Amino acid sequence: MRPLTEEESRAVFEKLANYIGKNLIHLIDRPDGAYCFRLQKDRVYYVSEDTMRLGISVARPNLISLGTCFGKFSKSGKFKLHITALDCISKYAKYKVWIKPNGEMPFLYGNHVLKAHLGRITEDTPEHQGVVVFSMNDMPLGFGVTSRSTVDTRKLDPTSIIVFHQADVGEYLRDEETLF
Amino acid sequence: MDVSGIIASNAAKYQPVEVEKETPLEVDPGLLLVTDLNPIDQEGYNANLEEHLQSLARDGVQALLASLFSLPTQRSDEGPLAQLPPPTTALPRAKPLPKPKPPTKWEQFAAAKGIQHRKRDKRVWDEERQDWVNRWGRDGKNKQVEEQWITEVPANADVDHDPRKIARDERKAKVAKNEKQRLGNIARAQGANPRGVRKEEIERTLTTARISTASMGKFDKKLDGEKKVRGVKRKFEPTEKSLSEEKNTSLALISKMGSEAKKMRREPAAEESVLNVRKAVRFAGKTRGGAAPARGAARGRGRGKGKR
Repeated sequence: MRPLTEEESRAVFEKLANYIGKNLIHLIDRPDGAYCFRLQKDRVYYVSEDTMRLGISVARPNLISLGTCFGKFSKSGKFKLHITALDCISKYAKYKVWIKPNGEMPFLYGNHVLKAHLGRITEDTPEHQGVVVFSMNDMPLGFGVTSRSTVDTRKLDPTSIIVFHQADVGEYLRDEETLF
Repeated sequence: MDVSGIIASNAAKYQPVEVEKETPLEVDPGLLLVTDLNPIDQEGYNANLEEHLQSLARDGVQALLASLFSLPTQRSDEGPLAQLPPPTTALPRAKPLPKPKPPTKWEQFAAAKGIQHRKRDKRVWDEERQDWVNRWGRDGKNKQVEEQWITEVPANADVDHDPRKIARDERKAKVAKNEKQRLGNIARAQGANPRGVRKEEIERTLTTARISTASMGKFDKKLDGEKKVRGVKRKFEPTEKSLSEEKNTSLALISKMGSEAKKMRREPAAEESVLNVRKAVRFAGKTRGGAAPARGAARGRGRGKGKR
């Protein structure tokens, strides 16, 4: 377990800012106690100070996980966000997409969001913007990237993809062994 | 009729044209600059600052204008123009003095041996032509042999003996040598030892070559005296650093990223904001059978197998 280097922090923050923008500050500067990012075996964990201090006493090979896993670094140094980060992201998301009940299942099985399943979308969402996907009763289901801006979606046919799937809560079951 | 009262009241309205000061004002009309060297009047300064400053400024401008009107003038369409003299106030230079050039290898040698630099004339006397000719360059004396229309050939010369080519090669070799020495001088001036640079280059190539096998050099045969490749030592912050410090560095990084993004984002031009060029190309491509318009035009036909 170690803190992130500047390069790594930059990669993580850039990825997070894609979804929550300036609200990233609220993740770092929290009123309810100190939280920090820690790297352990290529995975980035978002940990409270107390947990981190307890974790220090565990040797590196023995430490499996601590805090909330936000994602992992690929071998080429890119940062990939995991579904476990959804709780923190959905709270501060700038752009949101709500999908209809009949679209929930296809999305939770790892498919993209089609226009037919689109319930609501935040006004003036730009193209290729990170968005958090919610069910119609405001339960966060996952996140993805928009394929078109809000204005352009109106002209599309119902089978075209609106949000490219990146992660969904179904991964808790599908990727249980590698997720945390 | 007594007009002295009117004159007095009129004079009171305007301040005197001549500026009287203890130390006269220094005027430099070339820079349109007036310098007031008088000490500040403490009472006036404390009583009413604004008025005091205004009166000081007024005096300065008055002195400047008076000096401008005393200058020689030139007629122009917009009226007479005063011709400013060259400025007398020396301004400090904006940039530091240029550094002296580092000496070349020859200059170092000459300085060590006490050899005086002697300027060679560009022209030399040609006995045959009884004229001054260029030492080098156009019709230069160094090209005399190769430009002769007839050349003596020694009796035991080969069949393919070409005196013109030999002379030319000799001259070109001198040019190449000079160029190499010039580059060496530049490299030395940069603080690089040319041998060291070359050695580093070779070592880098060798390291790359050693890890360029399928096993990244793991199963290669080791040569005698081959050193182990050492990578860069990484250094990380301690895990148990104070979190407030870490928070501050993170926040600084975020604000830095924000300002970078702002710098990257340029102001969109007016027509750009209305027209999404990429999209327009895509739509135009759809109507013409999948080829982008520019591509279709370049091929000279409407339908082509372009990338969508």
